[in-house]
Amino acid sequence: MADYDAIVVGAGLSGSTAAYCMAKAGLSVLVVERGDAAGTKNVTGGRLYAHSLEKIIPGFADEAPVERKVVRERISMVTDESCFTADFSSSRFQNPASASYTVLRAEFDPWLAGKAEEAGCDVVCPAVADELLRENGKITGIKAGDDELTAEVVLLADGVNSLLAQKAGLKKELSPHHVAVGAKEVVELSSGIINDRFNLNEGEGLAQLFAGSPSRGMVGGGFLYTNKTSLCVGLVVTVAHMAKSPDRLPDMLESFRQSAALKPLLEGGKIIEYSAHLVPEGGIHMIPTLSADNVLVLGDAAGFCLNLGFTVRGMDYAIGSGALAAETVIEAKQKGDFSNAVLCGYQTRLENSFVMQDMRTHKNAPDFIEHTPRMFKEYPELVENIFADMFTVSGPSKLMLKKALPYVRKAGLLNLMLDGFKGSRAL
Amino acid sequence: MKKIAVCYKWVLSDTDIRVDEKTRSLNMEKCKYQVNEYDRNGLECGVQIKKASGRELVGITLGKDTASSAKDALSRGLDSVFYLDDAALADIDKIGAAKALAGMIKKVGDVDVVICSEASSDDFAQQTGPRIAALLGWPSVSYATKVEVNGDSFTLERKLDDGIECVSVAAPLVITISPEVGEAPIPGVKDILGAKKKPANALAIGDTGLSADALKPASAIVSVLAPETSRKRQRMNPDGVSLDQAAAALVKELSQAGIL
Ligand SMILES: Cc1cc2nc3c(=O)[nH]c(=O)nc-3n(C[C@H](O)[C@H](O)[C@H](O)COP(=O)(O)OP(=O)(O)OC[C@H]3O[C@@H](n4cnc5c(N)ncnc54)[C@H](O)[C@@H]3O)c2cc1C
Repeated sequence: MADYDAIVVGAGLSGSTAAYCMAKAGLSVLVVERGDAAGTKNVTGGRLYAHSLEKIIPGFADEAPVERKVVRERISMVTDESCFTADFSSSRFQNPASASYTVLRAEFDPWLAGKAEEAGCDVVCPAVADELLRENGKITGIKAGDDELTAEVVLLADGVNSLLAQKAGLKKELSPHHVAVGAKEVVELSSGIINDRFNLNEGEGLAQLFAGSPSRGMVGGGFLYTNKTSLCVGLVVTVAHMAKSPDRLPDMLESFRQSAALKPLLEGGKIIEYSAHLVPEGGIHMIPTLSADNVLVLGDAAGFCLNLGFTVRGMDYAIGSGALAAETVIEAKQKGDFSNAVLCGYQTRLENSFVMQDMRTHKNAPDFIEHTPRMFKEYPELVENIFADMFTVSGPSKLMLKKALPYVRKAGLLNLMLDGFKGSRAL
Repeated sequence: MKKIAVCYKWVLSDTDIRVDEKTRSLNMEKCKYQVNEYDRNGLECGVQIKKASGRELVGITLGKDTASSAKDALSRGLDSVFYLDDAALADIDKIGAAKALAGMIKKVGDVDVVICSEASSDDFAQQTGPRIAALLGWPSVSYATKVEVNGDSFTLERKLDDGIECVSVAAPLVITISPEVGEAPIPGVKDILGAKKKPANALAIGDTGLSADALKPASAIVSVLAPETSRKRQRMNPDGVSLDQAAAALVKELSQAGIL
């Protein structure tokens, strides 16, 4: 008999969610996590859309260590000289089912892994799953150091660079076109200063995205999220572009931090943390084989992450896919059949859920973004020029249209229309 | 069966200490507890003695939050743990700690080998082992880098300033080890899982045969501050002088300071 019903590799959001749901249903579950504790190896920008976890643990935000509820959204178009910002706040963001929260993974992941442990899972960290165990070709567990641990099914929740999914033959080596690289810093500031500076009430948060010069015109963008007593600031840039560029990501982050758009917002803050990580952004084009006999792939390992130009979203998909993987394993346990005949139900469940539906909805996004560099350079410049003229008086005035037209021509009216049309169908 | 008692300290890890630049005070809010790194070598030494002599191996600890130390310590080869977790011991000093540990060792019973490490990563006071030996009235062998056991007789090597001393001692004894005694392996998944099934025993101050009063600190820590680092902040290449000039200036500076 196997040591466990299920072994989960990785105590990120996908792994811990799956483990929690399976243990709740009475399955015996082992979670192994490479980091010294859950959350130590994980990087995120900062915003968790609550809907998927809300279904699993209703009202989770009351007990979980979330930072702030996002009630204010900003998008900035930045050039070396100017910054155009749209600011949107709404009481609509208050609804728990559609709310979003800023989170710090070093706090949030241990909480979720703790929930899994409370539900009865064995959670072991630090422990690296080095290999999959096989008997007569069938996956029977994992090898971690000198230890062999067996299970009916192994859930690979080991993140974007899932070596085990590659070893299992479910996934190919990552393509530079399917991943971005992100770097971020946590900047400490008092909650009072954050509230004043970003016009927030206690517990309320802001999310700000930056397009243009932060990514030096490459596909990508900058972000800022407010936590209780810190800010997360960072950059995400596509690896394929980064590789061709002379710029180094840490230097780009440094200039972003020093830029006129960001510097005043960070004034007086102290950098307390730096981290960097890969981001899957190939969407549906990078999704591996999701299930096979005795194995499932979830979260970032399965490529369930969307990059819609300036913003990355993966945490709610990680949670969603974790829950569906758990449902599938629970069914397999009931039927006593962990072969792909039952486990392939995971794919059907995903197809019927927001996870795969979103991947399909945005299937053209990676291609559109990669082939529309104008979004990251020419358009921020266009906005800059129009607004700079609108608010500059140095002689006789001109009509709006006359002011704008030359700049629109420069960016290309046809480009604008086409990109606008294609973009609104892809993003 | 005779027992080996390994004393280990549950200390705050120093990796997340933050220093307030103005006051030089230390902020330990983010620091997590861990088994003192040197004590991990002590635990491994205990495992080796257990293997060689068939003794039972128990871990002993006291102080704040030590109840939560059991799982970690038990994953490092111990058969059981005895901890004394009492808020009254928060400010315990070295004398008090040694007294309480000696009391706990007596309470556990049948112990004839006590292992401590040279020091703990937080205070580095280097006192606990020898103090326990004095309180128990047993021989103390400090700075042990090699331990061999044959029944009740121990042959140990001690690293001293002027060489290595070889000593033979009969149990009971207190050994204070240096990290060189043996590298501590990182617990494997099965070690960590197995730890959950091993006994962790809570002791109370009363079990030490002493009163809370008797353990009151005789000394108090007045302040803990980060060291001051003074730098000359001299730039060798102001206004972008050539590399050669800057190097020459640096060599001159260093020779004048007597460093080169
Ligand atoms: C810079 C950046 C910004 C982002 N911003 C956002 C955002 O604002 N909102 C959002 O929703 N998403 C964002 N994302 C994406 C999001 O962080 C990921 O989609 C999410 O973390 C995926 O969760 P996961 O559990 O699948 O994988 P991970 O969180 O990567 O967890 C995988 C875990 O597996 C462990 N592991 C790996 N290999 C092994 C092994 N062999 N043995 C044991 N353990 C192993 C790792 O240590 C890790 O803990 C961002 C990502 C980055 C990098």
